[in-house]
Order: sequence, then structure tokens, then C-alpha cells
Amino acid sequence: MAVSLYLAFTRYDIFNPPEWVGFGNFVRMFTDDPVFLRSAQVTLEYVLLGTPVKLAAALAVALLLNSITRGSGFFRSAFYTPSLIGASVSVAIVWRAMFAGDGPVDSSLQVLGVELGGWVGDVDLAIPMMIILVVWQFGAPMVIFLAGLKQVPTELYEAAQVDGAGPVHRFWKVTVPMLSPVIFFNLLLETIHAFQVFGSAFIISNGSGAPGGRLNFITLYMYKRGFADMQMGYAAAIAWVVLVVVAIIAAIMFRTARSWVYYAGDNR
Amino acid sequence: MASAALLLAGCGGEPAGPSADFDPNAPVTLDLAFWGNDTRAGFYKNAIAKFNEKYPKITVNSTFLPFPEFWEKRQIEAAGRDLPDVMQFDYAYLRQYSQNRLLLDLKPYLGKYIKTDGFTESTLGIGVVNGVTTALPIGTNAWAMFTNTALVTKTGAGAYPGGTSWDEYATWMGAVAKAGGGSVWGGTDPTGRIQNFEISLRADGKNLFDDAGAPQFTKAELAEFWGRGAQVRGTGATIPTKRLLEVAPKSGFGAGLTTSELTWDNFGAGYAGDLGADASGLALTAPPVTKAGAKDLYLKPSMLHAIAANSEHPEASALLVDFLLNSQEAGAVFGTNRGLPASSTHLAGVKLDPLSQKILDYETSIKDRLGAAPPVPVVGYGSIEEKFRQLGEELGLGTVTVEQAVDQFFSEMDTILKK
Repeated sequence: MAVSLYLAFTRYDIFNPPEWVGFGNFVRMFTDDPVFLRSAQVTLEYVLLGTPVKLAAALAVALLLNSITRGSGFFRSAFYTPSLIGASVSVAIVWRAMFAGDGPVDSSLQVLGVELGGWVGDVDLAIPMMIILVVWQFGAPMVIFLAGLKQVPTELYEAAQVDGAGPVHRFWKVTVPMLSPVIFFNLLLETIHAFQVFGSAFIISNGSGAPGGRLNFITLYMYKRGFADMQMGYAAAIAWVVLVVVAIIAAIMFRTARSWVYYAGDNR
Repeated sequence: MASAALLLAGCGGEPAGPSADFDPNAPVTLDLAFWGNDTRAGFYKNAIAKFNEKYPKITVNSTFLPFPEFWEKRQIEAAGRDLPDVMQFDYAYLRQYSQNRLLLDLKPYLGKYIKTDGFTESTLGIGVVNGVTTALPIGTNAWAMFTNTALVTKTGAGAYPGGTSWDEYATWMGAVAKAGGGSVWGGTDPTGRIQNFEISLRADGKNLFDDAGAPQFTKAELAEFWGRGAQVRGTGATIPTKRLLEVAPKSGFGAGLTTSELTWDNFGAGYAGDLGADASGLALTAPPVTKAGAKDLYLKPSMLHAIAANSEHPEASALLVDFLLNSQEAGAVFGTNRGLPASSTHLAGVKLDPLSQKILDYETSIKDRLGAAPPVPVVGYGSIEEKFRQLGEELGLGTVTVEQAVDQFFSEMDTILKK
């Protein structure tokens, strides 16, 4: 990490010794590199839209699985499997084929009267396509939610029911507060995870970040700067900016968590 | 620290040269890397089998990737000085790898392990950077236009005669697109490729870069060029960029969606493979010309062979390069898949199939348009070319304006040239 920090302040093409440029890389990033700014924008878009939707899907399925008794083991495994294989190259290839102009998704939508054309080359649909891919991999947070739900004392639900609370009220007043530490954990983990999106974007866009840079997530951009353009110093500077941004977001989450995360035994 | 810096700089001293006690019958394993597709991989497999008939103890492990990924992998390996022993090499990266001493100085091996009789003085000079021979050309090629005559006929439009003005070409593409009814287009926006910009500049007697590596074009010239693309795209004559992205990594031409494509003249076998048909329906013709009588085209090495400086078996690698470059057996296997062979002994083995004959005929037909080759590409040319392509794509999608694209291109180019 120390070497990477040093390189962030240099111009370094691997072949020649690093040349000290001070804050030059950082200045260039924010003043003379619209592609970096666009990459940062699409990454934030993906994180801000993809993470909540993924967590909502994971929680919804966890609630469903928590309420059934027969076959829960099978369904748990079935829903968990995509998170094991979802990040693989083969799934990205399949995803690309599914969302292509003549792919099954497009064909199915046409049957329903929705004419979207292909998603892969569409600047407006590329990120939604990626969000669907990440949401499909909700298995890991789902299992954690499920474990959290099992820990909620049934007496609380019984007491709420006696007080006349309906299912929606019980969810908001009992489940969510009791689950809040798990929600916080999942939110933190999945946000950091979303910033790391790379492989699927690389495969789906043929390594270019197309269409129109909409899949040029910050990790992909960093990789291209480093290994295709041999601007290793600049890539290191991007890596440090990403690290700082993720750290700030995590710090904000920890700070705000005090007001909405409930820990048993907490006196606040 | 100083030694680390020297190591980074690749200043490892003079190359040792061939070993006096090299035994070609001693067991050796070589890594061979090339870019291409399944068709070319099959050719390499056959050629290696023939090489092993002569040198059974030299095992060759070959790997291949599409062009962009091939270079990304090489760049990573170059960082660790772990390049494959023998590489198919591209002209665009030759200066960068040569200047950084990543490639073996071939001089001690020429004549001894690699025969040079089949090359002319000028073709041997192609792989020389700063006085050092670091690569040898496999073949030569020229910028050309492929047309899919079978598809043109199917649409009912007339054939493109070749060598017209750009406006006439655009009109022809429009006629094809009209006849194609939304499923076939006349071509791909030509302003997305830096080579088309290059031949426009060469029509005015300039190159992309001069001998010192400085650009020979202005922002206004590039804006004017990209502005022409907007006009052509606006008529619906060219395939929409969105559709191109859907079929990538095939091109619109390879996917059977366009009837013409401007590219290097040795791409025919790849297109035939992509189209899943024989190459009989493919025709090669001269690209549009910016000014009548211009010497805008040139012959360049379609690809080269180089040996990594880090190779532990330079002599065996040299024998493999010799076989792949000079032998009639390899010539018979590859044909013109890697360009029109630069070595006459290699060419003698080539059985000119119809497609190879078309390439030969094409390069003969453009003799009047051939000018002097531009200087060896600047360091980072590969990145500049890719940036041009990506901006062309973005212009097609409408995500940048011409002015923004020009600014971005110049900013990027300045950074790369300063690197």
C-alpha cells in the first residue's frame, strides 16, 4: 500500500522509473479527465440504486423463507446459489446473450408489448441490466437476514399482536428495529462490494466500458488506465481516491447508524 | 534503490547472444502467443505440428486472445518481465517494447538461426528500432475495403466500384441501407477508425505523427472529420452504434449486417469465419479517396514476430520464428491469413486460394495510390488508436458532442505523448 501511495504521486509507465509529479494526477483527475468523472458518476449510480434494491430483495425472500417450514433448506440453497456463481465469467457471458437485441429478455418483453430493443448497447438500459445481475445475486445477504430473523424473540411478535398490531405494523415496529444491526452490516458490506464491480462489466462491455461509458465503472477504468494505457501512477491515484470515498461513506454510515441501529442491551 | 530503478528501466546490459552449445534436440518448452480467432488458432496448431516434425524435442505451448485482450495481457507480463518466448507482434507497440528492452536483439540470430535470404532490405528494416532489430515482419498489408457481394446482391443494390469520393461512398451506403429495409446497412461509420482519418491526412501529404512523434493534425481538422461522420450517420446509411455493440466482438460486417467495411486487407479469413461461409462472396476494393491522385495508402507490416528478452531459450525461439516466417510448410498452412507473406520463401509455399489471390490482386491494383510508409508508430499509439475508436463509438451513441470528443482526444493524446 505504501508503494501504491507513492506511485499515486508519480508518472509511472512500468518500463521507466517513476517520475514525481506531486498532486498532478489528482488535479488531472478532477479538472482534465471527464472520463474519470463519468466513471465515478456511473459507479455511484450503480451503488446507490443497486445496493438498496439488492438488500430489499434479500430481505423479502428471507422473510418468505422464515415463514415457511417445509422445504426451506431447498429454497435457501436455491436462492443462495446465484451468489456463488454470479460473479463468474460464464454468467456474464450468459447475461450479455440474454439481454442482447434478439435475446430471451428482449423477446419476452416484445410478447408483452414492450419494445425496448437490446439492453447491452443501450446507454439508458445498461446500468439497469447490471443492477438486475447484482440483485439476482442476493443469496449472501439473504442468508444473513435469515439468521437475523431467527434471532428475533417470538414473544415480541406475540405481544405486538396482543396489542392489535397488524403484519405491516409488526414488520416496521418489531422486525426492522430488531434486525437493524443485520441491516447495517449488510448495507455496509454490500455498498463496499458494489464499488468493486468489475468482472461482469468487463465481460459484458468487451472490456471497453461501452455503451457510451455507462459500464465504465471506476474499477474497470482504473484497470484500463493501468494495464492498457500503462499509466500506473494515475491508476494508483484513482485507487486511493476510491479508497478515501469508500472510507468516508463507511464513516457516514457508522455515524448515522447511532440513530437507527438498535442493539439489545443498549441503554440509549 | 538505484539497482531497482535500473531494473525497472530495463538496463540489464548487452544481450548475451546465442549459446555456443545449443542443442536443437534437447528438450525445450516454448510459450507462443498470438492474437486472432479460432481459424488462425487452427493454422498455428497445424504449423506447430509441422515444426515438431523437424524439431520433435521443442514443445510449443500456444495461446491466443482477441487483439485488445492480447495486448492487455502482454502489458501485464511486460511489467513483470515475463513475456512469452515468441510473440506475434504489432507495429503499434514495437517502439514501446523495443525502447524498453523487452524484446530480444535478433541480430546475433539472423543468418544463423533465422534465415534472412527471403527478405528484402526494406522489409528487414521494418522491425528495426533505434538501430536494433527486435522483430521481423510476417507479412505486409494495406488499408482496404471489404464488400460482401453476396449480401449486396441479396438487397438488390448495385456493387460499390471502389476508390470513389467519400460522398459517393456514403450515397452507395445509403442505397444499400434503403434496399436493406432496416436489417442490412451499407457500412459502418468510417469516422470511427483512426486509419480513415490517417488516409485523409495523407491525401494532404501529412501523417498522423511526424518523425519526432508530434501530431500533424489540428483540432479543427479532427472536428471536421468527425463532423462528416455525423452527417453520414444522420442519413441512416450506416449501422447504428447500438446494434454494433450488441454484436461485438464481431464487427457489423462480420455479423452479416453491413455490406462493406474499411479495414486491413488480411482480415478476409476472419470475416469468412465470422460469417460462417466461404470467402467467395467477399470482394476487396480500394477505399474512398479524399483527393483524386492522392498517395494516401501505404504498405505496413500486418504483424511481426518477436522474441522476449526474458526468454530462457532464445535459440529454440529463433528456430520457431524462422519456421513460422520462412518455411514453405508454414506458408502452405497460413496462406495470407497473416497478411501477404514478407518472406519470399514463405510466399513460395502459399497456395493462393481465391481470397489470397484477391489480396495479391488488391495490393497490385493500388500501386498508384501507395505512398511512403509513415514513421514507426509513437509509444502509446495503441492507446491513442483505442481512444479514437471509443470516442467514435460515443459520437455514434450521441453521448458526446464533436467538440467534447475532440477535446478529450487531444487531452488524452497529450498525456500519452508526455508519458
